[in-house]
Amino acid sequence: MTMDLAASQTAFADALLHADRPVPDGITTARGEADAARFAVYRNNVFVGLTKALAQRFPVTERLVGTQFFVAMARAYAQDHKPASPLIIEYGGDFPDFIASFQPASKLAYLPDVARIEAAWMRAYHAADATPLDLAVLAAVAPERLADLRLVAHPSTGLIRSGYPVGSIWSAHQLETVTPITDWRPQDVLVVRPEMTVNIHILPSQDAVFAACLFDGATLGAAAEAALTEAPAFDFGAALMGLVSLGAFRALQPDEGNVP
Amino acid sequence: MNRSTLTLTLAGSLATALASVAFAAPLPAEKMVGNEKCYGIALKGQNDCAAGAGTTCAGTSTMDYQGNSWKAVPAGTCTSMNVDGHKGMLEPMKG
Repeated sequence: MTMDLAASQTAFADALLHADRPVPDGITTARGEADAARFAVYRNNVFVGLTKALAQRFPVTERLVGTQFFVAMARAYAQDHKPASPLIIEYGGDFPDFIASFQPASKLAYLPDVARIEAAWMRAYHAADATPLDLAVLAAVAPERLADLRLVAHPSTGLIRSGYPVGSIWSAHQLETVTPITDWRPQDVLVVRPEMTVNIHILPSQDAVFAACLFDGATLGAAAEAALTEAPAFDFGAALMGLVSLGAFRALQPDEGNVP
Repeated sequence: MNRSTLTLTLAGSLATALASVAFAAPLPAEKMVGNEKCYGIALKGQNDCAAGAGTTCAGTSTMDYQGNSWKAVPAGTCTSMNVDGHKGMLEPMKG
């Protein structure tokens, strides 16, 4: 039987990622017959490469569950997730979603969100460089135009809204010795790289809805009203100035007729 | 909130916040750093040496992970995280 190139490549890739599959058709050695042991070496190298890529991107996640569990979880992910990009730095972008559905990790409810911080960290690190929106530009906006204004998020910006103290958990794992989290409450984490360093911040809880709305493209007015509905203590000016100061935005939305 | 009330509220709130920062031209870098301390909680990360997989040419290991005989028990630092006074793992997993 002959297969076309695409079909044979697919069959080869499937056999690579599933240890229970036989050596694909058409694989031969100098002696003629396929050598399952040699194919297993190749298969192993692929898995080691992919699981190591995940370990490098998710070091806190790995520490939380231990190397053995992490490798097993990463391997389960790799079986069904071929790299979608030739850039291995992008591999594992949806690993946090996989963790959320990975039954053996289900007792660690905070684990997917910790992994989301790590995924966002890597995205921010490799995001396009951009000068953040200057506070002076914001200050120059005519007051009557504020409510209809939209902001463009900085290319590196990521927001993780969690029901767990994932910022504190991530932070605790930046040290050699991990200390327990004493203040166990929900946290909203902003990941941003305004200059050359990726910054991780825990946002004031009353500002998270506002930030999320703005990153989704809402106007300042709509975002402020959504935030006030959820948290009456929300302070629009402090929140906006705070987020702009952290470098979360790149510019005013130009299609609204704003002059940057 | 009606339209004009919203506009007034937003403008007033922003003016108040901005008034707390004296600036003329673009904020200098050290000013940005100062503001970070004032807003939210900045978490200190490790150096940016971990640029990600593929940015170094680490070779593959000879370890063989092909056996699936692992036990599904998270055994890292999760056991030292507090959950409402309990350990991060509410109960040990059975493999």
